[in-house]
Amino acid sequence: MEIILQTCVNALVASAFFALMAVGLVLIFGVMGIINFAHGELYMVGAYLVWYFYSSQGWPFLVAVLVASLIVTVIGLLMERTLFRPMRDNPLGGLINSIGLLFILQVLAVQVGGVGLMKNVPPAYRGSLDLLPGVAIGNQRLVALVIAAALLVCVWYFLTRTKVGWALRAVAQDRDAAALQGINIDRISMLAMGLGAGMAGMAGALIAPLARVEPYMGHGVIITAFIVTIVGGIGSLSGAVLAAVLYAFFHTFVTTYWNGTIATMMGLLIMLVVLIVKPTGIMGTRVSE
Amino acid sequence: MGITRRDLLTATAGTAVLGSSVIPRIAFGETKTLKIGFLAPLTGEVSAWGLPGLYGCEVLVKNINAAGGVKIGDDTYTLELASFDDEYLPDKALQGFKKLVSEEGAKFVMMLGGDPWPGVQRFANQSKMLATTLLPSDLSPDTPYLLAPCEVHPIYNVTGVEYLARTFPDAKRAVICAQNDSLGIPSVATYEAAFEAAGIEVVDVNIFDPATTDFAPLVTSLLAKKPDIFCYDTAYADFVNLIAQQLHVQGYKGLQISCTCDNYPQIVEKTSKEFMEGFIFQFPDFDDPKLNEPFINFPEPNKFFADYNAAHPGTWTAVSWEYPSIIVQWIAGAKLAGSIEPMQVLEAMKSKPSWPHIFGEAEWWGQDLWGINNALVGKWPVVVIRDGKAVIAEYGDIPAWWAKNKDLMIKHMRNRKQMWDQRA
Repeated sequence: MEIILQTCVNALVASAFFALMAVGLVLIFGVMGIINFAHGELYMVGAYLVWYFYSSQGWPFLVAVLVASLIVTVIGLLMERTLFRPMRDNPLGGLINSIGLLFILQVLAVQVGGVGLMKNVPPAYRGSLDLLPGVAIGNQRLVALVIAAALLVCVWYFLTRTKVGWALRAVAQDRDAAALQGINIDRISMLAMGLGAGMAGMAGALIAPLARVEPYMGHGVIITAFIVTIVGGIGSLSGAVLAAVLYAFFHTFVTTYWNGTIATMMGLLIMLVVLIVKPTGIMGTRVSE
Repeated sequence: MGITRRDLLTATAGTAVLGSSVIPRIAFGETKTLKIGFLAPLTGEVSAWGLPGLYGCEVLVKNINAAGGVKIGDDTYTLELASFDDEYLPDKALQGFKKLVSEEGAKFVMMLGGDPWPGVQRFANQSKMLATTLLPSDLSPDTPYLLAPCEVHPIYNVTGVEYLARTFPDAKRAVICAQNDSLGIPSVATYEAAFEAAGIEVVDVNIFDPATTDFAPLVTSLLAKKPDIFCYDTAYADFVNLIAQQLHVQGYKGLQISCTCDNYPQIVEKTSKEFMEGFIFQFPDFDDPKLNEPFINFPEPNKFFADYNAAHPGTWTAVSWEYPSIIVQWIAGAKLAGSIEPMQVLEAMKSKPSWPHIFGEAEWWGQDLWGINNALVGKWPVVVIRDGKAVIAEYGDIPAWWAKNKDLMIKHMRNRKQMWDQRA
């Protein structure tokens, strides 16, 4: 029983991070129609900024996380304006631009931080909370989980309860119809990109003390985010969150009781099955031509 | 025995390092340049076992050159490193090996070994180039020009287990985790043999994907087996760091043993001194006073450590001294041969049944495991963290362990398909 509960705790933390990454990816794809391959590198930049501000400069951890997230948001805004907007009618061009940026950000990380051992980001919150005998969550993970969950709730509230959020969802559903309603597509695109990038930056910033901070840390994360996005339904925010939770629990349980390699293989297999059986994903909807 | 520790140190430190600060520069005749190839992962996940080695070589070479270089035969040479990043990929390694040998004119090539070696082997044989590896599991009868003159990974891990079993006789249940690659798997076989020889039961082995990012599930899974001993096998430096954090968070209080524990002060900082107390691994800091023992064949280890940390603070890993120690041995071989030509140096080094390894006299060994006696095996340090600092607890005797447990090791190597005939 202890193992099951501890595995649930582990899966819960993973769920929050998968969701942060996937929701950001879905926002960007939904509004701009661009698959942002550099999303994992935005996550990496967030982690590097926390390493710099918190570990190297001695800033308080939460301040460093906030500043890192804001900087990544600005990077996202610049990406939209310079890389994606000129390619609005050419999704393939946007995708290629994002791949180019991916390599640029990796090389920049190498230039700034070097290579070799991972960057040292000590936990800001030491120790652990014993939930039950034999079931614990590290305080750093707990803080990251709470912030990630709060951010997801905020994003959900913003998208479903505010006019700007409605406008963003309207653009995601039908860009032309939204434009006819007077919605400024450029501004909404910038908002989506900024929000998506900021969430990736926040995920990287929060995970920095718990992960391997190195220039290529975005690789594994982006693969997971794509699996979650596809299984959830490309363009579906609620689908992304649901798929993130399901995938995290599935992956964590299979890793604990079987093997991590098998878990990843089975995750990819599930993605393929979903693509074949229900190409729109769990909660995606088919768009009529 | 043709070459002694005195000869070896005289070959390097006597004319070079020692003279760098206190002896006026010696006037030699015309100085030639001798290129040493360095082919290892300098970027990517395994770079922690490449880049710090290059840094170490740079420190050693700088000291040697500052003292006037190396006299081999009638010539005096200034050493120059030619490096190439193989990214731990076979095709990149082949590209690098060709460049170092054909374009740079390197006289021998140091490699980490492992996954990249199969890409290089054919060209290395064709070009008859002396190469070295830190992973003797690369050796086979088909690698006549490949030596493992420093690290006998993973065989030396038996010394840590032997020490653990003697020091903590009540510890009887071990779990092992290892990444699934050419570093992890032979090491698993070695630990399984060592634990069995010590009467310790291995209750679980978790072989994980090197792309793993979250170690919480793995740790939960292994702790469920209620181990007395957690063995990190030859996990990458960053993996040891992250797994140790998870063990700490999930309340593990048992013994820990690992092949390496690079940058352990970070792990101590992230966990606690108490958690890391007694952590056993195999790679000493070079400020350890036990490295000043008379049988150590390395010029001024403590000074080297200080020089290294001044030049590259915070980057010291297991390999920081290993590649430099191979240069020291190669110089001794070249001096004995009176030549820098690869085959003559190789012949000189192999002309003796034993050779001065960094940790004392050692024998050319490996026929039973790798089908060729090209690995130098002797003593190896057992390092223990005490009060947050790594110290050498003792020097374990690998040949003595082998003499008692040879069949056990071969059994486990064969079970894991790590014998040279199986790998081929």
